[in-house]
Amino acid sequence: MDYPTDLHGKVCLITGASRGLGRALALAFARRGASVVINSRSSSAQDLAKTERQLKALGAQVLAVIADVSNRADIERMAGEALACFGRVDVLVNNASALGPTPMPYLVDYPIEDFEAVMRTNITGPFMLTRALLGQMLARGTGSIINVTSDAGVVGYPTWGAYGVSKAAVDHLTRTWAAELDGTGVRINSVDPGDMDTAMKRASEPDGDASQWAQPETLTPVFVHLASDESAAVNGQRFSAQQFITEK
Amino acid sequence: MVELKTDDQAINHRIGEDVIQFVLPPELEARSPAEYRGLRRDHVRLLVLPRFEGTPIHSRFDALGDFLHTGDLLVVNNSRTLPALLQGRDEHGNLVEVRLAHRRTEDLWDALLLDGRTRIGRIGMELEFGQGLSARVIAPRPDLPFLWQVQFNPCCMPLLDLIYRLGEPVRYSYVDDVFPLDTYQTVYAGQPGSVEMPSAGRPFTWELLLKLQGQGVGLASCSLHTGLSSTRDDAVDATYPNYDEEFHVQETTAQVINATHARGGRVIAVGTTVVRALETAARPDGTVRATRGWTQLHITAGYKLRAVEGLLTGLHEPQTSHLDLLSAFVEPGRLQSAYLEAIQRRYLWHEFGDMNLII
Repeated sequence: MDYPTDLHGKVCLITGASRGLGRALALAFARRGASVVINSRSSSAQDLAKTERQLKALGAQVLAVIADVSNRADIERMAGEALACFGRVDVLVNNASALGPTPMPYLVDYPIEDFEAVMRTNITGPFMLTRALLGQMLARGTGSIINVTSDAGVVGYPTWGAYGVSKAAVDHLTRTWAAELDGTGVRINSVDPGDMDTAMKRASEPDGDASQWAQPETLTPVFVHLASDESAAVNGQRFSAQQFITEK
Repeated sequence: MVELKTDDQAINHRIGEDVIQFVLPPELEARSPAEYRGLRRDHVRLLVLPRFEGTPIHSRFDALGDFLHTGDLLVVNNSRTLPALLQGRDEHGNLVEVRLAHRRTEDLWDALLLDGRTRIGRIGMELEFGQGLSARVIAPRPDLPFLWQVQFNPCCMPLLDLIYRLGEPVRYSYVDDVFPLDTYQTVYAGQPGSVEMPSAGRPFTWELLLKLQGQGVGLASCSLHTGLSSTRDDAVDATYPNYDEEFHVQETTAQVINATHARGGRVIAVGTTVVRALETAARPDGTVRATRGWTQLHITAGYKLRAVEGLLTGLHEPQTSHLDLLSAFVEPGRLQSAYLEAIQRRYLWHEFGDMNLII
């Protein structure tokens, strides 16, 4: 199969790559020639190993790192191992996120510890990992960071409180960081995948009609675009993965 | 006379002359990172010492640009710091502190073995660290008998993963807490390999680096994976003031250094590690070439610097090899006067302390 967008020579790190969108992105990047670092928490180690096998079957250079993005020490370990293995990281996709307890409670009923845990994974995690890897991008004057967001960060849906607040924060993290990075050659953008058929989506909406949801592997084009040099001038933008496909 | 071999050259120079003497009051030892003292990284103090004449100027690190010119080049060490202090147990259950010094192969490290401040170790010693990490002491380094060659199991990336999981940053008695590993990283850190922080670059923020770039100061990087700065034994440290460290000066860095010199700009090394790397990579005519290898270069007063004109560094303890190296930039008597002035003005020493620009 012909993949017109070339990612040969790029090193891409994708968090939350044991399944769903993260796995689809790792495979899409690898098919275009990228080396990939994939990550998940230890509870998803078996699924991450499956992703690793699929990537190796493609002939990709791959490093799998078990790490919890909400843990400060794990962040430094993951960054260090990725840089030791490949020498640099060109593309970072902050994809890992936590939904919180399901069925999702109203904010007024939300356990405080669970709220803090969602924030730690969904906003502090991307902040810490970006911070750990951004410097080596700035030193080289090139790099792309992609944050996975959600329309729950724009619209106030009942019961989506903690997750939605965290995604609104991710959007603003993207905007602020983009303003600071302007002119450096390093860019940061966010992507809303929209409704997609993942384990997280099914957990959040057990009565939803999964047949109406997009498959994660169909949503990769905008991520490939943002990972590649063809988007070198794109910074601080918020994309809809599904709209990107329609407009193409 | 001591003869030291580098990759492609032999350099003769005297060691032990012009020793700088002072007593460092304990309260001037920085015990924690600036952020933990209520300061930004780049708000530590900056003592600017003109190399050839003039008195010291007292400033703050984020005003560094006031002392640099358009066309100058900062060269940083982008080596990332590893958590190189491991706690293990020997076959008898005795606690053994292992301070990694240099990675030799995928599973072999030179290391210092300690029981408290006492050096220990023997051939065949078996060590267990937990989580499946073990090691065997192979032999002492023939040229550096205080270091042991230690073979780890597993090797490669699983070994690195376990070092991260089990290790702590190497620290000395003046540091009063265990700080997170990320506090031991410079903001531009890349590949890991240093067992102690290349600390001269620690006060930089990207806000400052981008501002300097905006005023026409260039930025380039090399890597030198630092070894241990002390064996915790003053006599041994004095006998072996410098030992070999792995470094890499990339082609792009060599080119930008040579272009800077050709334009009349100054090359300012951020840290003594960068001086060692660039001077090892310098040809006799002062041009720098891409070089990868191990350096044993020991620079002291009288050494003719070829690749660098300025140095940004911390404040160093008396009789350390770092201080020897500073004497190549500035006459030892003036350096001693500046250090006494720094003590009088309550500057802070060590890796989390204040800074010194010699230019």
